[in-house]
Amino acid sequence: MIDERYYKGNVLNKWFAISSILMFVSVILTFIDDNDDEFKEYQKEFRAMEVETSKTVLTEELEKVKLDRVAFEDKLLAAQEDYNNKNSLLVQAQKDSAKLNGKFYKANAEFLAFKGMFDQIKFEYEAEMLEHQHHDSGNENHKPHEFKNKKKYFDAIEKLQVLKLDKEEKENLKDSKIAEIKFLKSNLKKAQDELNKVLKKVNITQSKIEKLDRESMTFQNQIADIVRDLPIIDFLDPYYEVKQVVLEDIKYDNNFKYVPVVDRCTSCHLGVDKPGYEDAPQPYTTHPNLDLYITDASPHPFQEYGCTSCHAGRSRGTSFVSSAHTPQSKEQQAEWEEKYGWHYLPLWTEPMIPTKYTEASCFTCHQSQPILNEAEKLTTGLNLISSSGCNNCHLIQTYDNLGNNGPPLTHLEEKVDKEWAAKWINNPQSFRYNTWMPHFFNQENNSSPEMIKRTNAEIFAITDYLFEKDDKIEYNNSSEYLGDYDKGEELFNAVGCMGCHIIEEESVALGEVDTRYELPKSEYGYEPDPNGDGYEKATRYSLLKLQGPNLVGLGSKTDAEWVYNWIKDPTAYWPETQMPNLRLTDQEAKDITAYLLSFKNEEFEKIEAINYDKEETENIAKRWLVKAFPEYQAAQMLEDMSEKETIDYVAKKSISFYGCYTCHNVKGFEDAKPIGAELTHQGSKSYHKLDFGHIHDISHSNYGWYEQKLANPRIFDRDKIVEPEDKSRMPNFYFKPEEIEAITTAILGFTNRQFGENKITYNLAEDKTQFEGHKLIYANNCQGCHVHDEFGGQIVDAIGSQDYAPPNLNTQGIKTQPDWLFKFFNNPNTIRPHLQVRMPSFNFTDSQWNSIISAFQSLENHNLDFENDLLVDKNTVHFKAGDKLHEFGACNNCHFYGTTFPNGEPQTWAPNLAMTKERLRPEWIIEWLRNPQAIMPGTKMPAPYLPDKDILSTPDAIETWGKDIVTLNGDKEMMLEGLKDYLYTIPGKLDITKEVKAYFSKNGYGFMKPEEEDEEDDDWDDDDW
Amino acid sequence: MLDIIKYIVNLLHEPTIAFTLLTVGFPFVFPPTDWFEKKHRQLRIDKLWSNTGGVVLMLLVVAYFVLGFTDKNAYIIFTKPDNVPIILMAFTVVYFLWLSMNQAYRNDEKLDRGEKPDEYNDPNDKILVWPDLVYSELISIILMTVFLILWSVYIKAPLEEPANPALTPNPSKAPWYFLGLQEMLVYFDPWIAGIMFPLLIIIGLSAIPYLDINLKSSGFYAFKSRRTAIFAFMYGWLVLWIYLIIVGTILRGPNWNFFGPYDYWDAHKVVSLTNVNLSEYVWVKAWNQGLPANPIKREFLGFILIFLYFAVPPFLLAKTKLKDIFKQLGPVRYAFLMFFTLSMLSLPIKMYLRWFLNLKYIVSIPEWFFNI
Repeated sequence: MIDERYYKGNVLNKWFAISSILMFVSVILTFIDDNDDEFKEYQKEFRAMEVETSKTVLTEELEKVKLDRVAFEDKLLAAQEDYNNKNSLLVQAQKDSAKLNGKFYKANAEFLAFKGMFDQIKFEYEAEMLEHQHHDSGNENHKPHEFKNKKKYFDAIEKLQVLKLDKEEKENLKDSKIAEIKFLKSNLKKAQDELNKVLKKVNITQSKIEKLDRESMTFQNQIADIVRDLPIIDFLDPYYEVKQVVLEDIKYDNNFKYVPVVDRCTSCHLGVDKPGYEDAPQPYTTHPNLDLYITDASPHPFQEYGCTSCHAGRSRGTSFVSSAHTPQSKEQQAEWEEKYGWHYLPLWTEPMIPTKYTEASCFTCHQSQPILNEAEKLTTGLNLISSSGCNNCHLIQTYDNLGNNGPPLTHLEEKVDKEWAAKWINNPQSFRYNTWMPHFFNQENNSSPEMIKRTNAEIFAITDYLFEKDDKIEYNNSSEYLGDYDKGEELFNAVGCMGCHIIEEESVALGEVDTRYELPKSEYGYEPDPNGDGYEKATRYSLLKLQGPNLVGLGSKTDAEWVYNWIKDPTAYWPETQMPNLRLTDQEAKDITAYLLSFKNEEFEKIEAINYDKEETENIAKRWLVKAFPEYQAAQMLEDMSEKETIDYVAKKSISFYGCYTCHNVKGFEDAKPIGAELTHQGSKSYHKLDFGHIHDISHSNYGWYEQKLANPRIFDRDKIVEPEDKSRMPNFYFKPEEIEAITTAILGFTNRQFGENKITYNLAEDKTQFEGHKLIYANNCQGCHVHDEFGGQIVDAIGSQDYAPPNLNTQGIKTQPDWLFKFFNNPNTIRPHLQVRMPSFNFTDSQWNSIISAFQSLENHNLDFENDLLVDKNTVHFKAGDKLHEFGACNNCHFYGTTFPNGEPQTWAPNLAMTKERLRPEWIIEWLRNPQAIMPGTKMPAPYLPDKDILSTPDAIETWGKDIVTLNGDKEMMLEGLKDYLYTIPGKLDITKEVKAYFSKNGYGFMKPEEEDEEDDDWDDDDW
Repeated sequence: MLDIIKYIVNLLHEPTIAFTLLTVGFPFVFPPTDWFEKKHRQLRIDKLWSNTGGVVLMLLVVAYFVLGFTDKNAYIIFTKPDNVPIILMAFTVVYFLWLSMNQAYRNDEKLDRGEKPDEYNDPNDKILVWPDLVYSELISIILMTVFLILWSVYIKAPLEEPANPALTPNPSKAPWYFLGLQEMLVYFDPWIAGIMFPLLIIIGLSAIPYLDINLKSSGFYAFKSRRTAIFAFMYGWLVLWIYLIIVGTILRGPNWNFFGPYDYWDAHKVVSLTNVNLSEYVWVKAWNQGLPANPIKREFLGFILIFLYFAVPPFLLAKTKLKDIFKQLGPVRYAFLMFFTLSMLSLPIKMYLRWFLNLKYIVSIPEWFFNI
């Protein structure tokens, strides 16, 4: 019944054929799909680019060696010819060599074979001896034993020796023949080597091209180059492959387990570590800062840090989308979506940080150092966080509050009156447009008429609570506290106030700024740019002068008595203040008071006072009560409260609500906790956890939210129904766009990323106190006056000339003796007699001063606290030579010798040399004398003239230079040594403050007027010690 | 116009409406009794299983998805790699349903005319193994492999990052074949929906051959001769299983809230769900008392109701409507059949109780982790 079939055979065959073909095609598709990875395309493209660049390099190199090459090639040709001529000799020698080699081989083989046998005989003989000894032990009268292997052994030694000699003889013959051949070839090889040396770079490039460029390969290599990348075989040694680095010290939180990060970025970013691709398109571009990153010589080598430790992103991704790239802008996003099918990876918590925020990552390891010169934006952000007091409300465990609080509100009545305080709280910028005090009121979620009614009642209650006494204070502007306005102005500008303060009454508008978020601008304006170009952009440097408030409008705020007492001793009013004491005399303080009080703000004075609203106050009190108690109880409680108690209740509730006490000391809130969300790991927070409310236009990323929050803290309440007690209350600081960028950078730096212990800067430093010192230097604005760590010294802008500004602190860590510096800090005396600006007295503890010294020392890698005094032997030749050299140098033209005044004019006066022995370190003096410009660029101090050997060997040398200098015979080291020794012996009074003061109080500082300076003095630096 | 259609479609997808429509309409499509059979023919629903009906059915399914692809929100859901099997399922279920019913109706007609069914003419004692069966199986295997390869090449597996407790997907969904069970979790305590029902389904399905001793129409597709059984099975299969999978896949969005196929999945949608236990209805609402501390006393009504639900109807039915079946099967088989059927029915009953009475649990003893 063969014919009985369901289907026709042919039909099934056809179906089988079709399905087989489909199967085949789908298998091919699988292979294609498996092997068409994105990174391979990039690697192919980059390979072509590399061939291109290498070829260019080759042409350049060939051009460079063109002439040499011809010469050496000729030489090689000649050598070749010579070699060819000796050909018959060589052929014979090679024949001989082959024969000798054979003979040696035979002899060597015989020797080695017999050596084997010899070893066996030796073993047998030893075994026999051992057995005999074992048997005969204890047997007293035994006969000497006949060893049967003894003879055999000694015969073998002889034979081995014969064979060895034979082998060595043959070896010698063979080697000499080889040497002969080598000699015949040597000239040729030498010529070849010389040519190769010339062509070294050419050859390297050439071999690179041969490896890269298929067309330049040999046929076998071409085949191999194709085969190595074929599917399946490509597991062996493919050219196109995923390039990765495993970072043991940098972990990724794989939930319950931290696993090392595996960076595969270089699979596509192929030129990132290769200089020369700076202008190549992405992903091939060279990293813009190879000195700091990636290269092995940099502090952050690629093998240890990879890419994602700074840039974040999905490090294991090998395609554009899967590696979690983040677009910089809406435009770029649209472009990427079209070009790469880009989309967010919703479940990846660490998308790449946009390049403008990359500096955030520095914080992970460098969090103990608030000053990072290489990370300007991060440092500015951290500075702003500290200055604005963000970390007063928001706990940031990794970034302590540096003490930048607002003034205490515990005895406010001494300083201002109630009306002023209420107006200030309501609208601080209306008094001082660039105050750090932020705006809580008149914001978008509390400026409806009902909310203004409410906030006014709150403000009234807060002010009422803060002022013990109700009555308006009498301003005491009696002449007892007021001096001379002009003198005050002069002093203010010269004595050092401008290190931290400005007086800038005019403000400017922000102008047009392009931001992706909504930015409400301050109606009171921003600091004008000193160069007159719009507003002043916030930088680390521009913030230096805003350490203290802009001292405008004081006349409308407080009275002479308070200002006078404050500048005389700031800690009396505010014990924790950062305002230092400038040790002003009574008269100086009076003059400055007169100057400061001359500034008035009439606009502010005209603003209407806030009045008491009984009904609204009770309403607020009731609303708060109802939140905590049942209605009937709340009503009862309210009824039981007196009017004063109701106001106090509302005040306390409002103060806790707005968190006034986090920045200011407020009585009754000594132990209250900060009110903001903790920001310690805010940078790692996923955008899913941030409430964007109904704001859709901004970037849906965590930084997009932070930007918007900083620009308009209340915006996420928009279009929502929120009770007044639940409204967002973060105040508005009216940050400028670049400030928002900087703060966002810092916030993104606060992450929970886990890096290895040996990656954290803090762990790498031996002396941990330096970090405290750097923090103090930073928090107390030392760089407002001094250049320290190559940054700062903004007071120069106010003083007008570097000549009369505080000294550059370059090399400070190795310059002065630590114990002297410590004493100086505690009791600053005059060092640079011509300076009017004063080193203030800071209210620091000993350990704080020590940490500052330690910070200076850390910058110079020097950390000795105690050093021996230099003992000078006045009888040495070099001391005498130094004495003499010092005479030639005429140091006393500028320098004081104790109370002996210099010969020159006050503008060239320089430090008292009698102080040297107490103050400076001998090693530093030598370096200083060797080349003052290298240590203090621009200093007026000349390097002393040191005569050289030639000059000292002239006939009249002894007469001119003296016996001792001539004896040194041009040894400059000894001369410097001598000068140093001499400086240490200069006698005289150490502290000449009084004498200098007396001189200037008589003669004044007239020479400091800029117009009187002559050109030469302009770059004269006062840093010569 | 399109908006109105979408609005209506969204509305029809509302679980209460859709489920009620399906439940009410079901006996008209698979008539279990003569009356329904009459209506079935009158309304010409039987034409569904004709060739034209098949084409119309498939076109309807196609139209459903095509309309979905034109909508932004439905597009996102339909094109998710996880949901591809659901779309395939929609087509295959409809097709095979039609195929079997089509053959069943053809055979029914033949039987009515006194003819033998199609399968009667098949040689019923042998299969042509080589080459017909083996060869065609081989071809099918190859084609299926091709299909799977192409699927895996062109639609990447929806693999995600390692699970992160700080960042969980919302909604969190089971694999598609479990979504029916996950949907049951909305109405039942996890131990019932997650453990007892799956077990009962498996046991119940395995028990069918032992419970169904009716030899009529075995060996070929037919409907009339076992219409009640087919109706019951189809209801469990299509409405209580396939439909719930579709609901779980397409209509459940963030926070397991219901969304129409064209709705935007708004994660912030707030739906008030105040569910009340039966004991609270009784003690608090009806009797104005606090809940007794003793759980047995507190839940006594629930226990009684559950007992009555499983005990009374079988007795009554055995005496009245299902007298014949009781006779045919005997008490043991009958008891099992009743138990499985009532268990199955408890799902729609509980769903309606939840929808219309906000009933949370009939018996609620959280202190023993025992809720029904």
